[in-house]
Amino acid sequence: MVTNLPPFVQILWATSITVQLALCGILIYFRHFRKLPFFTAYVCLNIAQSLFLYPIYLHYGAYSHTAMLAGWWSEGITLLARIFATLEILHVVLIAYRGIWGLAWRLLATTSVVVFVCVVAASWGDADRALMRADRGYHLIFAAALISCLALIRHYLIRVGKVYKVLLVGFCFYSCVKILLNTVLYDSLYQQRSQYTAIWQVLVISPYLIVLLFWGAALLRPLPKMREQQAVLPTSLYGRISPEINLQLQAINKKLMNFWKIEAQQ
Amino acid sequence: MNYSAAVFGSIGLLLLLAIAWLAFSGTRRRPEQAVRKGGRERECLHISSLPQIKQALANSDFIYLEQQGYPALAKRIRKERRRIALNYLACLRVEFEKLLHLARMVAVMSPNVAVAQEVQGLRLNLEFSYRYYLIYFRLVSGVAPLEAIGSLSNMVSALTIRMETAISELGERAALVAELLPHNRGLDAGG
Repeated sequence: MVTNLPPFVQILWATSITVQLALCGILIYFRHFRKLPFFTAYVCLNIAQSLFLYPIYLHYGAYSHTAMLAGWWSEGITLLARIFATLEILHVVLIAYRGIWGLAWRLLATTSVVVFVCVVAASWGDADRALMRADRGYHLIFAAALISCLALIRHYLIRVGKVYKVLLVGFCFYSCVKILLNTVLYDSLYQQRSQYTAIWQVLVISPYLIVLLFWGAALLRPLPKMREQQAVLPTSLYGRISPEINLQLQAINKKLMNFWKIEAQQ
Repeated sequence: MNYSAAVFGSIGLLLLLAIAWLAFSGTRRRPEQAVRKGGRERECLHISSLPQIKQALANSDFIYLEQQGYPALAKRIRKERRRIALNYLACLRVEFEKLLHLARMVAVMSPNVAVAQEVQGLRLNLEFSYRYYLIYFRLVSGVAPLEAIGSLSNMVSALTIRMETAISELGERAALVAELLPHNRGLDAGG
């Protein structure tokens, strides 16, 4: 058994691995791996991480330096896989809308860079908690970029297939939970080392387990068929209409502004 | 808990709320909006009879009633003017949203989208929303002077003519886009 960890944490570990295996089974059985190879790889990497860490925790103990190193390195790999999985889903959702996809990846890149700069500035000089801050920074960048992209999709009234929506919201929800845990739990409970790891494990695994269950339920249905862009307007038409519409919008805004000036003068 | 933790904790909560809103608001609101918009568009058909409305809103009528000693009637007219002004604002918003919707459809259907144009559209949308609500709340709370409400009629009158010309110019292209789209409320990513 995993040393130094209470039985309920061990049960959570076992449940999490079981659910991940089931999810992997669903991805293979329904042949979703063909359409979502990076997402499937992400789930497999998570299973591999759990199976990799389990014997290390068992042999060296949950609080050992080896366990910490193994934990963070393997976490880094899964976090990278998560980026690819998310980009893959966004690409599948926006494949039929080339213009919006072009806009979306620019938005993702810009948001990531801006939030990265803010996170580095806010966490600078805290070397003791560098790993925890880096993890929090990653999740903050990830969640902010994903939310901005989902907002863009909503702005253009692009309806996202329910399965993809569940997958994206699941990623984002888990990242938000990790931001809160890394911030609140670490600051308030880290001093009580004996309890910290157990509480941390429970609070990290439980939301992930919920996300896995939602993903599993959503993936039990066949994925929506991918569609090519059905009708593409010539680029020149966009170039002509878009500035024209913006001018009209500007005209309405000016009228409203004039109304405001009239009011101010009264 | 230090300052940094409070900031990051708040950001985490805000992001959680944002994702909850994005996850649950999208699908349910659209039909209601369509119904509301449909109703509003029918009301806005009367916007073409502006000269008559403008005459009804003229200051002279109101001053005349005050001078003749009909305070109750003047009060009723004041309420009516406010209602008309609010209706104009709402119609203005409908026109704005129509154009915005058209812009979105064109962007969705285009293989290349100019970031500058889209950012400008978004900025204009935010500006409009800000001004619209500012004026709306002033009108609702009665802070806006009646002269300004009268001036609004002039403003909408001029704008409507311009909008009608613009819409008719764009109509042909809009019809083309509408024909190409499966439906105008949202696009299915694949199912």
